[in-house]
Formats: sequence, structure tokens, C-alpha cells
Amino acid sequence: MANGGIRQASPVNGVRSPSLKAALGKYWAIFRTQLVNSLAYPIDLLGRSLLIVLFMWIFMNLWRVTYGASGAHSIAGLTLADTMWYLMMAEAVMLSKRDLSEEMTEQVKDGSVAYLLNKPFNFILYHFAAGLGHSVLAFGGNLVIGAAVVWLMVGPPPGIAGWLFAGAAVILAWLLDFCFSALIGLSAFVVEETAAFRWIYQKFLLLLGGVLIPLDFFPAWLQTFSLNLPFAWVIYGPARLFVEPSLARLGQVLLQQGIWLALIGGTVWILYRRAAARLAINGG
Amino acid sequence: MGRHIAFVLALWKTNLLSAMEYRVSFLTQMAGMMLNNAIYFVFWIIFFARFEEVNGWDLVDMLFLFGVVATGFGVGTYLFGNAVRLSLLIASGQMDYYLSLPRPVLLHALASRSNASSAGDCAYGLLSFGAAVYFAGAFDILMLLRFGLGCLAAVTVLISFLVLVQSLTFWIGNTNLLTSNAFNAIVTFSLYPITLFDGTAKLLLFTLIPAAFIGALPAEFVRRFDLAQLAQICAGSAIFLFLATFVFYRGLRRYESGSAFQVRT
Repeated sequence: MANGGIRQASPVNGVRSPSLKAALGKYWAIFRTQLVNSLAYPIDLLGRSLLIVLFMWIFMNLWRVTYGASGAHSIAGLTLADTMWYLMMAEAVMLSKRDLSEEMTEQVKDGSVAYLLNKPFNFILYHFAAGLGHSVLAFGGNLVIGAAVVWLMVGPPPGIAGWLFAGAAVILAWLLDFCFSALIGLSAFVVEETAAFRWIYQKFLLLLGGVLIPLDFFPAWLQTFSLNLPFAWVIYGPARLFVEPSLARLGQVLLQQGIWLALIGGTVWILYRRAAARLAINGG
Repeated sequence: MGRHIAFVLALWKTNLLSAMEYRVSFLTQMAGMMLNNAIYFVFWIIFFARFEEVNGWDLVDMLFLFGVVATGFGVGTYLFGNAVRLSLLIASGQMDYYLSLPRPVLLHALASRSNASSAGDCAYGLLSFGAAVYFAGAFDILMLLRFGLGCLAAVTVLISFLVLVQSLTFWIGNTNLLTSNAFNAIVTFSLYPITLFDGTAKLLLFTLIPAAFIGALPAEFVRRFDLAQLAQICAGSAIFLFLATFVFYRGLRRYESGSAFQVRT
């Protein structure tokens, strides 16, 4: 280790554990700050939401032609309207989630992680609270604009239960996605350049998560394979729940999300504690 | 002209030598991008396994399309890497460096950077073209020439479009959002069969968002020779190249120096 180096023994060394209320208050403040920050640039927010119009337009052309050519009213239990509302929800989740892995990678690479690690909050929870503040507004914008476009194209959306059930599942989906982002971001402690992992994760979401095509249209073996992976529960779960809001499906989605959250979240927690304990910060 | 070509070749050589200093990172990014494209293409394999064709396009057409788009995109953004960050150079006053040297400003700025991941796009495009030829069961030397010409047209129109959009920075300041949306639009549209879109949409894809010149049109031309398509490809490339150069240099007159110290290593 170079002169002036600091080796952090533990991410929580010497700091008295705050009460749960105080801890939540800190992250609530971070969430609120990010929310207000995003609200300060409404044009930017609106502009980013316009991307969903482009995707919905392309999907409408693709699936209108496909349904027309097949001559069927519904494919794998989904009508054209169901498919479009499914894709709208899938794109809204996809476009509003904040990819924190890039930011975390940069912080590890340029050393600014040192300034966050010695603050009185948890590095991982800090990023989650900030990311959530961004995602909530972006999701709202995408949902309003995306829903307006799809309504014009195929008629009214599913009932209120669809919105409520999907809303609950979307929050857990963001949490699950955040765990993946953190996993990729934390890998920067080992490999420094994480872009390739990020691209591949994004593509897994697009394909096995069901952003480009509902998993119901997959061959049976691939559908089973996809449903046994966590990516489906970031996108497909909430989007499918939106167009078919039953209590049984809600239970299945939340259960799957809970299991994957425990597995991937637990891995992130262990890796973070190890990485922070091994972190060597040079210079002053 | 010969001096300019020698200069650009020297820039590309320097970029390559620079990338080779970080060989593992270069190869990781290249392999990552190839895998990334391959996973995306699986969508079309699944789609055509279920629906066979969409308005006359089948999986082999999509292989040709991905071949041209990925190769064109890869070659374009590898050789002219600053084409994706030109607005940043303009807005942050970083054009000072290029203006102070006796070389063509636009060409120098664009070719001064290479993206490692673009090499992965290029390699994937060539593989996709190889697969398309294999499954189409027809290949001759003329098809290879058409592929080269199609990719050249894709590079020209893509880079011209990116320059055109980002040149607006000279007039309206921050164009980050516009650039990002334009980039997403042209890449997304270029990867779908053009037969999905009707008259008005098609017109847009040949003008405002010229994705047809990057994807469907050269891909169809590669598959079978058509004189009208050749004329369209050449005319489209020439028009967009002229427009981009004209608008960039018009805008450059309005450029304000950042007066910042810049260190280039």
C-alpha cells in the first residue's frame, strides 16, 4: 500500500447504530432530495418520456401486422390490446429504472467512493434511495405518456386492480433490479470495467425478462426456463399482472420477487461488506 | 486530398495503438458487445420460430439486416468515435483544440477517438452476414461488393445524421436529450423490417430519421441487385453527407471558445 493509504477495517467501525426511525429518516431525505432534483427539470423529464412513444409505435406496427397475418383474435391468451398494454407497462418499468451500476463503477474507479463510504449512511442504501427518487418520477411520466398513446391505439386500459397490483409488483421489481445493478457496480472492485456485464444484463431483461415480447409467446421449454430466472420477475411479472390482475397471479409474482430478492440481495450484502473491508484508499 | 487521407490513417493507427495498451479491456468490451448483439438477435429467432414471416421478411432477411446495420454502426463509431459525443465537444468548448490545428476540423474531431465496443459490433455484423449468406444458400463476389457498398452507405448516413443533429448545439446549446433520443430512434428503427411501416412512416424513415438508409434499403440491396435501390443509396448518402458538412461549418461560425486549458495526452 502506498504512503498515506487507509485500510478500512469495517464499513461500520466505531459508529453507533442509529434507531430504525432515524435510519429511515436519512434515506427518506435522500429519496426526497433526488425527487425534488428531478422535478427541477420538467422539460428533461418530459423529453425522456417521449422515448416510450417511439417504442409503442414500433410495437404497434409489428404486432398489428403479426396478429393480422396469423388471423387469430388472441395469441397465447393475449389479444392485440392485451399485448400492447403489457408492452406499455414493460417499457415503462424498463425506461424508468435507474441503472446505478455505471455510477457506482465510476465512483470506484475515480476513488470518490471514499467520500461516500465515510459518510454516516450505508453506501448501498444511499444509492437505492437516490435511484428510487429518480425512478418514481420517470415511471410516472412514462406511464402517463405511454398509456395515452396505447389508449389511442387499442382502446382503454385494464381495470383499477391491474394498476394497483402492478404498482405493488413494480416497487419490488425496482428493488430486484437495483440488486443486480449493485452486483454489477460492486464487481468494479475486482474488474474495474463493468460495461460488458451491464450490456448483457440489459439484454437478458429485454429478452428473458419479456420487454420485447411477452414470455407467453415463447416455446414451452424457453418459457419455463425464463420463468425460473429472476429477470422475468423484474419485467414480465408486473406487466403480465397489469393485464391479468388476479389474486393468484399477484401471490405468485410477489413470492417469486421475494425469493429472488432474498437470494440476490443477500449476495450483494455479503459482497459489499467484503469489498468495503478490503478497500484500500491511497492519497489524501 | 492525399494528405488528408494520410492524416486520418495516422489518427486511426494512433487510436488502435492506444487501444492495444489496454488489450484485455479492449477484448472484453468487444466480446461483450458481440454477446450483447447476439442475445438481442435471439428475439428474432423466437419471433420467426412462431410467426415464420412478417410482411414478406423472414429470419434470413433479418440476418442480412443485422449484418449491414451492425457492421455499418461498428465501423462508423469505431473510426469516427467522436460522432456520438460531438455535442459535448461543442458545448464544453473542446473544439478549440481542433480549430487551432491546420487540419479539416470536422474530420479531425470525428476521427480522434475510437470506441472499443464498436469493434464488437463490426465483428458481429460480419458474422451475421456470413450466417445470412450460408442460410440464403447464394453467394458470389458481387454480393460481397454490394455488402461493402451497403455498409459504406450505412456509415455515411449514420455519421452524417449524428453530426447533423449535434450541430444544432451551435444554435440551441444543450442538445444532450435530443441527441440521445435521435440516436435511440435511428438505431431502433434501423433494426426492424421496413415493411412494417406504412406510407407516412416510411417517408419519415427516409428523411427525418433516415434509418432506412442504414438498415432495410442496403440490406435488401445486398440480397439482390436493384438499380433503383443503388441510386437511392448513393443519392441518400451524398445528400446527408453534404447536409451534415454544410450545417456543421455554418454552425461553427457561431462557436464560442471555452477559453479553458486543455491537456491532451
